[in-house]
Amino acid sequence: MTPLRLALALAVVAVLAALPWFGSDLIIQFGINTLLLAVLAQGWNIIGGYTGYASFGNSVFYGLGSYGVAIAMVQWHLPFGVGLVFGVLLAVLFACTLGAAVLRLKGHYFAIATLALGQVMTAIVSNIPLAGQNIGLVLPPLNNDRLFYELSLGLLVLATLTIFWLTRSRFGFGLIAIRENEEGAAVMGVNTTLYKVLAFALSGLFSALAGGIHAYWITFLDPESAFDISLNVKMIIMAVFGGPGTILGPIVGAFSLSAISEFLSSEVTNLAGLFFGIVIVGAIVLMPRGLADIVRNVPKSGWRYFRQNIRAHRL
Amino acid sequence: MNVAAERTPLLRVEGLSAGYGEMLALREASLEIYPAEIVALVGSNGAGKTTLLRALSRVVRSTGRIVFNGHDLDVLTPDEVFGLGLVQVPEGRQLFDRMTVQDNLLMGAYRRDDKAAVLRDLDRMYAMFPRLKERTRQLAGSLSGGEQQMCAMARALMAAPVLMMVDEMSLGLAPVVVEQLMGVLDAIRDEGVTVLLVEQDVQLALSTADRGYVLETGRIVHSGPASELIDDPAVRQAYLGL
Repeated sequence: MTPLRLALALAVVAVLAALPWFGSDLIIQFGINTLLLAVLAQGWNIIGGYTGYASFGNSVFYGLGSYGVAIAMVQWHLPFGVGLVFGVLLAVLFACTLGAAVLRLKGHYFAIATLALGQVMTAIVSNIPLAGQNIGLVLPPLNNDRLFYELSLGLLVLATLTIFWLTRSRFGFGLIAIRENEEGAAVMGVNTTLYKVLAFALSGLFSALAGGIHAYWITFLDPESAFDISLNVKMIIMAVFGGPGTILGPIVGAFSLSAISEFLSSEVTNLAGLFFGIVIVGAIVLMPRGLADIVRNVPKSGWRYFRQNIRAHRL
Repeated sequence: MNVAAERTPLLRVEGLSAGYGEMLALREASLEIYPAEIVALVGSNGAGKTTLLRALSRVVRSTGRIVFNGHDLDVLTPDEVFGLGLVQVPEGRQLFDRMTVQDNLLMGAYRRDDKAAVLRDLDRMYAMFPRLKERTRQLAGSLSGGEQQMCAMARALMAAPVLMMVDEMSLGLAPVVVEQLMGVLDAIRDEGVTVLLVEQDVQLALSTADRGYVLETGRIVHSGPASELIDDPAVRQAYLGL
């Protein structure tokens, strides 16, 4: 990393960190939501972008993180921090036990198997008294949006630094090798099962932390919203829009799509959903490998880049 | 060639059986491989060649004994076996198609910590395969079949193997390329790397190897110096159509 880029990154983080002191309440709330979505997209990036396993199970980690905090605080009257740790433990335990089973599946089969996990968790949690069954739990309110904002920003920085470390570590190279050719990776001495489970768990760790912060901020959760599959779809779209398997792509994807979605839903209220869909379809057709790939290739090949992508779709 | 009897084998396989579910693809196979020799393992489709390789790499479970360089392999995982220097050039190459040739070779040195030696080996590979040197920045998926096989062999050699197991190297390649690759095997054997060559092309394998084993429906039916096997009437009739 060049000193210039480092300075630029620090400046961006500093500006983002200062935002709650001059932005309106609305901006701060939008900021918390966006930052947490960016954390989820980054978490997905580890298993989906770098390891090549398109997981639909990350919303389960998110839900477990939420419930970890809620159960610890409401039922056991423990502090928030302990709840976060408890949520992370649940998510990592889940990733290791179920990951060992579902990570044997590849491609669509893996996606479908993980898709079912969210539904199963909703059904299970709805029947656990400790988790408030299908009524849910109400957390003690804490009216301090600045704190939640800074926590979310800190978490995003931590997730991004982790991915930065991944791209230059032996572990990260092993994951990329698995994505490119799993059998080839195994032949070259990569312990593929272990690496996949670790990537799944690492991905789960960040999703769970995001879920925990979100639960305390919103102060209410129920099984339906905690294990909501559409949240998982969102994080995938954001990571893929920005550029899966890149350090900053998912952040750019989360920020830009959140802004577009927010703008549309306030300006053209009843058509917002439709426009958002058009944005996604357009992105998939014109830039299937995300914004990061555009930055890399458009200066070189110009409009030809988009034409090639359209042709690759056989439209 | 009775030098073999005096040395300790690099790899000793005793009564090895392996298979998938109830079906045994390999029954009571025994073989020995000595340091710095090329051993051919030949047989037709479904004879159990690949199963034997997979058992050696610990990808399939097996019964019997496998001793490599003084280590019992039965209790080890695939990556631990790799760590001992038992490296495969897999059937179908299994390259990282969307990575450059250079990155593919560096992936071979994935488990090595000696950076300077890795770079030295990289130069050695390019000297051994000049075709790859012309294509260092090219994506491995865009290479021709022969070049891909060279890349797969170079990648395996980058792992600094003690025993290199080459699975169906000649499959789908032009004879002139195969000849070139056989020359490379000879060269690395002379540098002290032991080679286990698994081939369907019996004539080709036996004409390059020092010794050979013939597998048939999961059992080893013939073994001996390659030059004798190639003249064995039973082998000639069954595999060479002579």
